[in-house]
Amino acid sequence: MTSRSPRWTAGQSAGQIPPDLRGRRSRDPFWVVVGALFNGIQWVRSLRTPVIPYVRPVDRGLTLVVQETRREAADVVGLRLGAPDGGLLPRWQPGCHLDLLLPSGRRRQYSLCGDPADRRSYRIAVRRLPAGGGGSIEVHEDLVEGRTVRVQGPRNAFPFLASESYLFLAGGIGITPILPMVQAAERAGADWRLVYTGRSRETLPFLDELAGLPPGRIVIRTDDEHGVPRSADLLRDAGPGTAVYCCGPAPMIDAVRGAFSAGTLHYERFAPAPIVDGRPFTVELARTGTTIGVAAGQSALEAIKAELPSVAYSCRQGFCGTCRVRVLDGTVDQRAATDQGGDSMLICVSRARGGHLTLDL
Amino acid sequence: MTAQLGEPENIVLQARDVSFDWSGVPLHWIPDDPVATHLINVLHLLLPAGEEWFVKVFKEALPYVKDDRLREDVLGFIGQEAMHAGSHDGVLDHFVEQGLDVRPFVRQVEFVFDGLLGDRNLTGERAQAWLFERVAIIAAIEHFTGVLGDWILNAAALDEAGADPTMMDLLRWHGAEEVEHRHVAHDLYMHLDGSYGKRVRAMTETITMLLALWQRGHRFLMARDPLVKGRIKGGLHHLRRTGPAGLTPPGRLLGPSIMRYLRRSYSPLNEGSTSQALAYLASSPAAQAALR
Repeated sequence: MTSRSPRWTAGQSAGQIPPDLRGRRSRDPFWVVVGALFNGIQWVRSLRTPVIPYVRPVDRGLTLVVQETRREAADVVGLRLGAPDGGLLPRWQPGCHLDLLLPSGRRRQYSLCGDPADRRSYRIAVRRLPAGGGGSIEVHEDLVEGRTVRVQGPRNAFPFLASESYLFLAGGIGITPILPMVQAAERAGADWRLVYTGRSRETLPFLDELAGLPPGRIVIRTDDEHGVPRSADLLRDAGPGTAVYCCGPAPMIDAVRGAFSAGTLHYERFAPAPIVDGRPFTVELARTGTTIGVAAGQSALEAIKAELPSVAYSCRQGFCGTCRVRVLDGTVDQRAATDQGGDSMLICVSRARGGHLTLDL
Repeated sequence: MTAQLGEPENIVLQARDVSFDWSGVPLHWIPDDPVATHLINVLHLLLPAGEEWFVKVFKEALPYVKDDRLREDVLGFIGQEAMHAGSHDGVLDHFVEQGLDVRPFVRQVEFVFDGLLGDRNLTGERAQAWLFERVAIIAAIEHFTGVLGDWILNAAALDEAGADPTMMDLLRWHGAEEVEHRHVAHDLYMHLDGSYGKRVRAMTETITMLLALWQRGHRFLMARDPLVKGRIKGGLHHLRRTGPAGLTPPGRLLGPSIMRYLRRSYSPLNEGSTSQALAYLASSPAAQAALR
């Protein structure tokens, strides 16, 4: 969406003084004067050698120690993390997550699911995903009691706002950010409902903690007893003034988003959509001559970012256009709605068609 | 009972996909008030070129950032600004289709951002100093976008006047994201440079530039409007009526907000409400339309 059609500039260089607004003069006298003044200021300033400030590096990372681990469901482990000296930790609010920088170099985000009033420990819960990227297995196997781990955060991608009534929709491990919200809503005396879905009761963490809340407000809906839920069923309790908070597997969030008509919907999106039918390819960064490999399950952006940490991107879903890069050689498999074809691509979602691309980076 | 919660902190900024259908939006989207309509419309003329320039400058600044959290904030900011630029561009096309040819003025705005505030063919330390100078200008402009975003979120008089709902959604979606990310440009400038003198200079240049463009833009739109046909002369003096009526930001919003900006202890977080902005974004029709 970022590049405008060229008719707005009508073939002129933007640096030239523009015509006046009535089309009478080719150089608007107002801008001739402003340009002369502004260029004059810059010229005077250029007589002095510029003072380049020193940019002080900021490290916001924390090293935490695993104080306790607990099995919360069949394949879910809960971890309690604290400062090695038992000191106060940065504050957090429901919806916040931590970035764990795992010893292997993997970086994973996990929602905080403890009590925000507890300033000396953070709790996260991690489901073991054997077919995932290996991060959850590393947490399960390596982060035993007494181990330390680097974290960043807390940060909030799922802010919880004041409302009179709430409908919480949690799918499986998606309960983690929802749990502190439910408890905050209950404490505040708000009108709330929770629909908690999953394959079977054994796979659902924190049923014991939810048992301490008014049972009439909670519906546990498991596939083995009730069948796979439809989004209309999940949203049945959402009245006009109800704020809906949804966290769960991507298909569940997409279904709820699609079925939502009007009102307030909050959902958590951690990761870009999974890559469908991706094939590995290579990318040459023309400015450095480096060639890097992009794996089948990886985006070009992820691979390039490892080599060039300051590469620009934003939405990672192919709509904002921030990561558009000029393609110098190769054919692009265009996967973004806003890919314009020709000589550029959005590296967050688009890929190579012929196995290799040369990019202007 | 409404849950009482603190203002959300440490928000992760994310670009939101939106879609707007302009086909049903009338030229005078504040009914029977072309003067107020065009006072706000000037923003549509400034924003696409202005925000694309923000994106370009911030992309250039990324390699200098030595703070991971700030880098994430800047990346989120860039994506949001890119979506804003594209969406306002859609409004400009709609103006042209309705017989209001805004291209001569847009050309002048492009001269400001891509010419006067462009790269200037500098290299080395001079290029870096000019880059930081421009980050200071963006921080000053972002102070006003945050103040205006807070204003539009609370502008009930526009709803009462029957302002077009699609246009109100564009302005409020944009305004809410401006409030949501109001700290980023200031944080970036303070991280990279932070000199107070540069902040004052940037604010002075920004006020001069924005007032000149607003005045000239309004006179241009009033003169070009195919329905008004030049019968009403444009200009910022109309704010004396539209401001107190709540149809445009009042002129008196400006002075105190500049004084706040010029304090050394200035924090953008004291301007506007994050929770109000986030609540709007969770219910914006344009953001929900893009989901389907």
